[in-house]
Amino acid sequence: MKGRGWFVLMLAAGVAISLIGVLMGAWWLTFPAGLVIGAAVAPARLAIPTGGLAGLLGWGLPLAAEQNRYGLGPAAGSLAAIMGFSNQAAVPLILTCLVGLLLGLTGAWLASAVRRAAVPG
Amino acid sequence: MVRVARTVNLIAALVVSGAVLYVSFVGAGPLPALGPVFNPSTGAWTMAADAAGVESQTLKIDGLQEPVKVTFEKDGTAHVVAQTDSDLFLAVGYVHARFRLFQMDLMRRQGEGRLAQVVGKAALDSDRFELQLGLLRTAQLEWSQADEVTRVALSAYARGVNDRIDEVKRLHQLPVMFTLLGYQPEPWTPVDTLIVKGDMTQTLNFTDTPLVMELLDKSLGPDLTAAWFPVLPPNTQSPYDPGPYPSHTTVAPMTAMRAVTDSEAATAAALHDRLAALPPGLLATGGESNNWAVAGAKSASGGALLAGDPHLHLTLPSIWFQLTEDSPDYHTSGVSIPGTPVVLIGHNQHIAWSLTDAQNQQTFFYEEKEDSAHPGQYFWKGGWQTYTTVSYDIPVLGGSTDHLTVKLSAHGPVISERGLTTSVWWAGNLPSQDFEVLMRVGQASDFQGFRDALRDWHSPTHNFVYADDQGNIGLISAGYYPLVAKGQPWLPMPGTGEFDVTGTVPYDDIPQVYDPPGNIVWSANQRQVTSDYPYYIGTASNFFDPGYRANEIHRVLSQDGKLSAADMMALQTDTRDFLASEITPLIVQALAGDQLTPAEQQARDLLAGWDFRMDTTSAAASIWWTFWETYLSQSFDPWWKTKNVSVDRHELDDALGQDLEAMTLAGATPCQPPGCGPAPASSPCITSECAPGPLTVALRQAFHTAFTNLTGTLGADPASWTWGRIHTRELENLAQVAGLSYGPRADRGDGNTVLAAGGFPSTHGPSWRMVVDWGTHTFSGIYPGGQSENPASAWYENKVDTWWSGLYAPMLSADQAASSPGAATWTMRP
Repeated sequence: MKGRGWFVLMLAAGVAISLIGVLMGAWWLTFPAGLVIGAAVAPARLAIPTGGLAGLLGWGLPLAAEQNRYGLGPAAGSLAAIMGFSNQAAVPLILTCLVGLLLGLTGAWLASAVRRAAVPG
Repeated sequence: MVRVARTVNLIAALVVSGAVLYVSFVGAGPLPALGPVFNPSTGAWTMAADAAGVESQTLKIDGLQEPVKVTFEKDGTAHVVAQTDSDLFLAVGYVHARFRLFQMDLMRRQGEGRLAQVVGKAALDSDRFELQLGLLRTAQLEWSQADEVTRVALSAYARGVNDRIDEVKRLHQLPVMFTLLGYQPEPWTPVDTLIVKGDMTQTLNFTDTPLVMELLDKSLGPDLTAAWFPVLPPNTQSPYDPGPYPSHTTVAPMTAMRAVTDSEAATAAALHDRLAALPPGLLATGGESNNWAVAGAKSASGGALLAGDPHLHLTLPSIWFQLTEDSPDYHTSGVSIPGTPVVLIGHNQHIAWSLTDAQNQQTFFYEEKEDSAHPGQYFWKGGWQTYTTVSYDIPVLGGSTDHLTVKLSAHGPVISERGLTTSVWWAGNLPSQDFEVLMRVGQASDFQGFRDALRDWHSPTHNFVYADDQGNIGLISAGYYPLVAKGQPWLPMPGTGEFDVTGTVPYDDIPQVYDPPGNIVWSANQRQVTSDYPYYIGTASNFFDPGYRANEIHRVLSQDGKLSAADMMALQTDTRDFLASEITPLIVQALAGDQLTPAEQQARDLLAGWDFRMDTTSAAASIWWTFWETYLSQSFDPWWKTKNVSVDRHELDDALGQDLEAMTLAGATPCQPPGCGPAPASSPCITSECAPGPLTVALRQAFHTAFTNLTGTLGADPASWTWGRIHTRELENLAQVAGLSYGPRADRGDGNTVLAAGGFPSTHGPSWRMVVDWGTHTFSGIYPGGQSENPASAWYENKVDTWWSGLYAPMLSADQAASSPGAATWTMRP
């Protein structure tokens, strides 16, 4: 296991990749960001939550910025209504964060699993 | 063991990752592709930035020749000021697309038969029908025949729309519904604009009336059908053009209704069912619009007054976008339809205009004669003709491409081959340079110019009301009034040539008036002319209105004294039910001496003291309406049951209501089918055999039944039966998202009141209210909605409350708007 600095570096890299992807419309980059973390961070019990956290931050930070700049209340309410969840504006917010989290988390999990499977014994 | 665990772990990671990626990229079931949709920076959340509204800024817009100013009032009303006409239309295209791009795309897709491409096979029937009917073919023909002015305007408009489409793609700011449905808008073309116009033509005047008449003829028989669905209305109406008319053969009364064969009826039933299954809006199902004008001589301000409120399906976003257009050749203010470049209803510096649907018959069905010895051919004018065919590929989301071949006869497209091959002659399929006309209307400065411009308006037929700054008024029902060589055009006719449409009523002979002696003109979808009018223009059931709104408007306008703009506004929101004012006294009279319970006496007293206004707080309004529905049912349902009529009786309530009104006012009731026999009070039968029964008995029975129904629905206390408890209005979201609709909310009015509000809930009504006073040069208007289709925007429904309250907003000029509080201005530069 490498040190805390390495872990923080990988987390930052994951967040950065995810964030760039989100900003550029390449939202799927969150998954490779998770892959990078899963490949670079061990053990899996640390890598997987880190991947999830990177995805969550990669998606959550732009959302927070939107909230700060425009206010997301009406948009969240409208999206919830479109999705059939009228008066439950939190649903699209939660879903957005969940998508980011799952993309990062599964990426890290997959890379960790591959790495472990490749190690003899 | 460790190896197995690691392998299982790897497989699990692969499966879960695959699932997450699949749902993110593709979606699952009702879920859209979650990745692009929820991407905070380029997905649906961009609606938050879009909803933040507009601020003063400079925009670079490709294609402009000179700078253009666009000022937005605080409520979103736009004012476009351009230095060239081309720039004006380009800027309008950009502005429309900025606020209504998805609506515009939806409308063109509907008319072009390309909805299934984005929503899947659920829209395939609609697409197939639209391509059969031919809006796309007509639009393409219109474009090929357009004059230079129209081509410049539509091309510039398309350029402006495409500027915005390019911008949203570049900035990843697609309107939310594109993101959710997972597609991007294709470039806009002038043909798309003509398609949007075609959509409106279709929804206003493509009817199935002849099919309905054929089904009625088959089941009720020719005599009853002719009696209940006559050419001329059976009740007393207020035509705005009383004549004199040109000498010509007069309208033949419907006395010789022919018998319908089994195969004809089966064919009509199949086609009627097919049309009934189409989404709402593809078939005209009645119109409710008002317009009128008061000459300067009768106006308190001394200037002419004009009022217009076209009634349409009320949606969010609205069909209307409010704006002013200023350029060297155009100075118009009013409402436009997103997707089209011009003001449809409004005013310029000298004249104002509004329109209502004229309702004359513009749809004729033909049964083509075919023979197995002549495949692919039909018999017409003495010889076998080969159908022209057109083929289409309809892309279907999630399915294989559908292939459609449309056959065209001399009459028009074949729209049914179940049973007899049926084609349709529809005036909407004839090229009509409506944009050229509207641009000339917008430039007119007097009635002559207005009337000359409308000479080339063909379809849909509209009652164009007019008032100018010199105190003059007029009304002209512009459009095609098809003439049929012979036969019974209210039924499908043989397609062999003898019964073809041979021309149209000459322009000078169509209904019209200018500065009439009474100093008022009015239209409310009623038959425009009296029984002396020499041409056939449709049956009383061809969705000509029963005339109650027109009668009420005429009653109010024709009273002594001067009228003001405030009077116009009050009349536009008038809830007095003319039919109720005729019938209610007869109900009260019939109940005199009847055995009534105390609660029934209370209900009768409510009716006796009623002012005939359908207000939300009126209990009498509920009693009246329930009574009338019961009376209709009691009078006609036995026939429907006995004769196995397949057409829903409620589809025909307007026509049957006219009959019932006329009979009741004449002291009679409808006869009843043989076999019903004398009946107890609970039975719908009023009398035995086919003889009119005592009116008093019928009215009492309907009252008692209505009372029982209301007691069961609203409780035992008649005073609590307020109209607002049963009558609501809803503004439906265009994409059918219930959570983004407005209402249902208790509302006043009914289908017969000037403030039209038919239905439960009512989803149809005054889509725009405008009042013009040329004496004070004040212009007021309001529509139920907002300028933006973005549901998160403050301009999504910000005009609704003003509209609901019966209030108006001033229609400002561009200069006035620029100095109004909260205004913002875009400076568009090439």
